[in-house]
Amino acid sequence: MIRSAILFLLSYRTVSMREWNSKPDGSRFRSKSIRIAASVFLPVMAILFVLLCQQPSFSQSKLEASNLKKKVESTDEFDRFRDFSNKFCIDCHQGEDSEGEFDIEGLVQRNDYRKDYQIWKKVLQKIGDQSMPPSDYEQPLQTKRTEITKSLEEDLENFFCGKEFLPPPPMLRRLNRTEYANTLRDLLGISIDVSSGLPEDGAGGEGFDNAAETLFISPIHAEKYLSAATKAIDHALKDPRSRRVLLGRELNQGETPLDYGRFVLKRFLPKAFRRKVTESEFEKYLKLFKIGLDRSGSFQEGIQLALKGVLISPKFLFHVEQASGTGLPGDRKTKTMDSAIALDDYSVASRMSYFLWASMPDEKLFQLAKEGKLRNTKVLTKQVQRMLKAKIQGRPKVRDFADSFVSQWLETRRLGREFLPDKKVAPRFDSELLGGMKYEPVFYFEDLITSDRSILQLIQSDYTFVNRRLARHYRIKGEFREQPKRTDLKKGGHRGGILSMAAVLAVSSYPHRTSPVLRGKYVLETVLGQTTPPPPSDVPPLNEEKVRSPSSLREQLELHRKDPSCASCHDAMDPIGFGLENYDILGRYRTRSGGKKIDNQGLLPDGTKFSGPVGLQKVILVRKEQFHRNLTEKLLGFALSRGLLPEDRCLAKEIASQNAKNNYRIQDLLTRIVLSRPFRETVMKSGSNDSGTNKVEE
Amino acid sequence: MSLKKMNDLVQSCRRLQIGRRTLLKGVGVSLALPWMEAMGNASEFNSGTNPSPRRFAALFMPNGVRADKWSPKKIGKNYDLSETLKPIGDLKTKVSVFSNFWNKASDYGDGHYVKTSGFLTCTTIKKSLGIDLNCNGVSIDQVIARKIGSQTPIPSLELGIDPVTVGVDRNVGYTRVYGSHISWSGPTSPVAKEINPNLVYQRLFRCCSKPGKENQDDLLLLDQVLDDSKSLKNRLGIGDRRRLDEYMQSVRSLEIRLKSLRDRKSNPWKPLKDIKKGGGPADPSDHQSHVRLMLDMIALAFASDVSRVSTFMFGNSVSGKNFSFLDGVTGGHHEISHHQNEKRKLQQYQKIATWHVEQYRYLISKLDSMQEGDRTVLDNSLILFGSGLRDGNGHSPRNLPILMAGSAGGRVKTGFHVKAKPNTPLSNIYLTIASAVGLKQKSFADSRSVVKEILPVG
Repeated sequence: MIRSAILFLLSYRTVSMREWNSKPDGSRFRSKSIRIAASVFLPVMAILFVLLCQQPSFSQSKLEASNLKKKVESTDEFDRFRDFSNKFCIDCHQGEDSEGEFDIEGLVQRNDYRKDYQIWKKVLQKIGDQSMPPSDYEQPLQTKRTEITKSLEEDLENFFCGKEFLPPPPMLRRLNRTEYANTLRDLLGISIDVSSGLPEDGAGGEGFDNAAETLFISPIHAEKYLSAATKAIDHALKDPRSRRVLLGRELNQGETPLDYGRFVLKRFLPKAFRRKVTESEFEKYLKLFKIGLDRSGSFQEGIQLALKGVLISPKFLFHVEQASGTGLPGDRKTKTMDSAIALDDYSVASRMSYFLWASMPDEKLFQLAKEGKLRNTKVLTKQVQRMLKAKIQGRPKVRDFADSFVSQWLETRRLGREFLPDKKVAPRFDSELLGGMKYEPVFYFEDLITSDRSILQLIQSDYTFVNRRLARHYRIKGEFREQPKRTDLKKGGHRGGILSMAAVLAVSSYPHRTSPVLRGKYVLETVLGQTTPPPPSDVPPLNEEKVRSPSSLREQLELHRKDPSCASCHDAMDPIGFGLENYDILGRYRTRSGGKKIDNQGLLPDGTKFSGPVGLQKVILVRKEQFHRNLTEKLLGFALSRGLLPEDRCLAKEIASQNAKNNYRIQDLLTRIVLSRPFRETVMKSGSNDSGTNKVEE
Repeated sequence: MSLKKMNDLVQSCRRLQIGRRTLLKGVGVSLALPWMEAMGNASEFNSGTNPSPRRFAALFMPNGVRADKWSPKKIGKNYDLSETLKPIGDLKTKVSVFSNFWNKASDYGDGHYVKTSGFLTCTTIKKSLGIDLNCNGVSIDQVIARKIGSQTPIPSLELGIDPVTVGVDRNVGYTRVYGSHISWSGPTSPVAKEINPNLVYQRLFRCCSKPGKENQDDLLLLDQVLDDSKSLKNRLGIGDRRRLDEYMQSVRSLEIRLKSLRDRKSNPWKPLKDIKKGGGPADPSDHQSHVRLMLDMIALAFASDVSRVSTFMFGNSVSGKNFSFLDGVTGGHHEISHHQNEKRKLQQYQKIATWHVEQYRYLISKLDSMQEGDRTVLDNSLILFGSGLRDGNGHSPRNLPILMAGSAGGRVKTGFHVKAKPNTPLSNIYLTIASAVGLKQKSFADSRSVVKEILPVG
């Protein structure tokens, strides 16, 4: 009762404030004085109202109150923010002449999270990183600041949960370099990588290079595709093994070269375009074949020409998706709103294979697509399990997925590229060690999938994968070769899980020294999915002269954290990093550095004390839901090849919580992602003949 | 490089009008030298009646410079070389220094990204993790390439050292694509750069090969691609078409190049001889040799007239490139650039900047050693050097460190220290460049006028 009264009061206040403020002659001064009056008047009203509400005869008003509440629906969290903004923001950010054209009062009044999502995010960021209110204005207490941003963030997040979901219209996306190389490998059976001449792909969305939004085409691409296609086809036709993969069989006795060419292309085209091919499409490539054949009389020359043509066609180079059922006449025209619609079977086959293999679908997936079975949940589930066990060249096919995903999620791809250790600090860093370091997380993740383990083993475990050089680096005894292999770790030891992997510890260091700040930030961001704002521009200096040994680094950082504007982030980052100080820049274990004993104690802002890598693993495991959710979001972003929307994050939360009930098994997690709606659906735009994806050609 | 390959190279270089004698002389004595040293003087180049081509290259340096050791004290013709600019040495008469120019549009946003992607566009970059990526403009090199690029086989050559940086920067909310590109052919189209010198070499020489059967085949195939693209495009939604358009553009420009190789008459650039297969430089072993090989490629492209426009990135923004190969330097470039005014870091920061100027000097002196008519290739070019921020510690895009060498065939004055009024638009310099290389551009981004100080009298 009292709660609804307060709600009424608040909503009433909002409505009336808006009315007052929107009066054309209402100057800011005037509206302020009214506000003062209101703030005196309204509490009196409130008390009165509460008293009145306690009488049964007021049920009518109760109804009205709830109606009003509906009109300006708000949650407690939202109301808390409103109070906060009234106190700290709207003096400047109000109405048309708002500072920076940023009208927070209007934003609060609109109360439209969907439309204003980006603006709300900005508000949260500005309050969170203390850039607002400006330092010469009244400041909220740090605790208040944290509390308000946290509660509003949750409110914003919850808003998108349980709502009808509409994925964004997809963007035509080309194969990235990895996908291109793997696809050619599977399509032609070649073992050489012809993709190395292609420009590098940048990352977008959730940080992966398969994101549609950043897979640009530059002027140089056509040229590079053409020369890669030439190289690939020439190589494939020369190599007996790949010739078989490519052509299917040799020329039959009595068969004309034309018929043979027809046979080869009929077989090859649908595989290359990853869907059914129409007669007219087929004829075009047959024509190319004939041109080559006619002028030279050689099958070889004809097929070379036609196949090269296929490999530079946009139908090969792009992921061309189609919605299912668009063939139904009238169906699209009757739609008045954008709507989600299931992808056709071939598109689902490709989405699955590029997600879990970073390559094209295999015979089985094509077969199921042809039979129209890839919209059946049971079939999909079974296929995911099969795909996760499939092998290529004697090793799991998911390695390509593991490699792409892990090296970008953990940023270990930077190793040997953006990150190279200083030779003076790490004189023995060589290519075998680099290889061992790079592949440890990849093999680990691959094993996690093929053995269907719990994703929590990414944080803590008693085994890992090392090659000869990395084993020596870790001081693990045993027989090892250049290829990494599984090894058990000492029980109760410090190593186990991604946080003790050399590659991770390296890319979160400077080239010449470790940095608790960088490592702390890395753990928060990469492992727990928490972003830290960039440091303010007027950072007081850290005296590098004294940062020779870790213990003095600690003292320095402690000094640094005395500044409250630094403390808000560094209190969270630095202790985590100190917990990892036992590892040098390449992840070797050490107990002393610069002649001093390493202090690996950490004290987190919530009062948790821990020490060393094992202590840190426990700290992360306490926050396992956060870690789990972050990993799920990353996987979903990778699977969908785009940045996530608030609704997607909500979905990730849901998937994660279901997966938690299934003991965090990774196969279950991957299956749930494949079965999720955005993975299997696309968007049809209303009111035009345009669908987000393609119309069926036939 | 084998003798056979060298011979091929000689053939091609002759075709590229770089003196055979010079090159042969080089073979004997200079194998130990950096690869392109053998190229020496381009003596026979363009001694005919053709007006010399005008060219433009921009060299981008990440992370800024040590502010107190950059600007010369004296202004005008008799300016003094500051400590950082020392390496320019005797080429001072051909190099101008620009002070007090700023990139206003990039005085916004956190960190380096806006200062990198916006360096040659002078526009404000949209904060984005990818989906609504937009630089809101076209970079000056691409504006120039649109105009004069059609005169050469490769309209513009984008080079660099680092591959596109991994990941997105959630910290500040930008995809690292922004920090990895300075050339933009359109607001949403960063131009990919090449980082492998051997591949660039192969590409340059492919452009000179006499068209054969492959050329005919390629044209046939490209035709098929365009046909496929058109039929695909009709089936796509509007939003979906953009990437396909980009691909079609890419295919068309290759088609034009192949056709112009075939129809020699319509081609202003005439290759003289066939090349079998060019040998290329070996993979570089360290940062310095990598940089020099890429700069060699610019020199080669300019001298052979395969391209007249080029950009080069010494590193991506926030580059943590380890510079400990320099004496007295420990650690990564970006980290050192946040020197916080500590003496030790400032000294290292200074050394890194000086090293960059040395590499700039390497390129311009190479270009200056190539005679073309009564001038040098450098004289006929404009070679810009600069960074998107002045001091890495503060990230300010004011008073940017900017150098320019060459005179575009005598169209601008060289050897000046131009000290403009504070906060003069950087785009003024770009506008001057554009007009010097022959564009009739009235303005560029936020430019207000050309830089009058370097325009020849009359």
